[in-house]
Amino acid sequence: MTASGNKDTLAGMAADESNWTPVPLLEDIKERGRVWEDLARQYGVTNPDPPWKTSLEGICEALAASSCSSATALERGWLDGSVDRNGVGAAAPLPGLERRWEEDELSETLYRDVPFPERQLLALVHSLIKRGLVKEEDLARRMDEVLQRLHSA
Amino acid sequence: MAEKHGHKHAPMVEEISDFEALEIAVRELAIEKGLFTAEDHRKFTEFAEHIGPTPAGRLVAKAWLDPKYKKLCLEDGIKASLAVGVDWLKPTGFGTPSDYTDLRVLEDTPTLHHVVVCTLCSCYPRPILGFQPEWYRIPNYRRRLVRWPRQVLAEFGLVLPPEVEVRVEDSNQKCRFIVMPMRPAGTEGWTEDQLTEIMTRDCLIGVTLPKPGTTTNLKLPLHRAVNPAHH
Repeated sequence: MTASGNKDTLAGMAADESNWTPVPLLEDIKERGRVWEDLARQYGVTNPDPPWKTSLEGICEALAASSCSSATALERGWLDGSVDRNGVGAAAPLPGLERRWEEDELSETLYRDVPFPERQLLALVHSLIKRGLVKEEDLARRMDEVLQRLHSA
Repeated sequence: MAEKHGHKHAPMVEEISDFEALEIAVRELAIEKGLFTAEDHRKFTEFAEHIGPTPAGRLVAKAWLDPKYKKLCLEDGIKASLAVGVDWLKPTGFGTPSDYTDLRVLEDTPTLHHVVVCTLCSCYPRPILGFQPEWYRIPNYRRRLVRWPRQVLAEFGLVLPPEVEVRVEDSNQKCRFIVMPMRPAGTEGWTEDQLTEIMTRDCLIGVTLPKPGTTTNLKLPLHRAVNPAHH
């Protein structure tokens, strides 16, 4: 396949996924979770970003780097037609470009009313769940444990 | 806010949101499943903690004051970055996270104005400019800037006369850009620190011009794209 052919495939693939299936856990968080904008206003905090934002960036970078430059090379190979999509997926659990494109899609569909960076977090987790890299029930359980831990002092 | 021992504490958010718990939970599970290591996450988070727009602002301020350094900036942005404490070949100090190794400094002239975008995703010169503003990430800016650059710049309050050519530079995985605007009037005799202060993030992306007295970025309302993300 040619470079433009694969770019079309990429765009087409993303477009095919415009019917994103909601994840109940993330829908709950979307509905009841308090966003930083509101919390900062309530408590008189001026920092524009939540304290967990840099850690979220760390997760995105670490995911991209875990497949390291080999995945980057494979993504490039996919675009120029020399590597098929399975080859990319095998080396990179969540290639950076796919993550960003899915974030674009999800930000305009399921999470369009959620502010940034909460939206970025929901989109990232959605992508991980969709690929089976993290299970929704494990995540729900772990969130309960985390909340218990943080409230135990 | 409670006061203890006569000290007034800075306000802090005294509750844990579901989003905060979600971030911790997904990070812990990802590490347990071997998607990345705790050590890598820690290093990338430290990188995220310390980056910001100041080095890029300082690079331009230095260039305004030193013609030899300006020449270096225009010829070799990577080498010029070293003078403001940024090593593009090792931006995190332990390896390149996103394979970006080329920085180009775009010089504005009286008849040419540059502005930067990433039409594919949100590539950005993070080691020297920090994190992208939200508007830079969203498809609405990315798609419209290349089609209607003058109109989009006008939305940022930058109205350019027709005789000034607008050049849109599209960032990519290998190549990142910052804009070097012309030094504004009214800054004669200023120090490097003073000049650095007016070189805001928005000036370095090219959506505004530096101005004495302006040291903050614009907060714009965000608009959704009408068409699907990859239209």
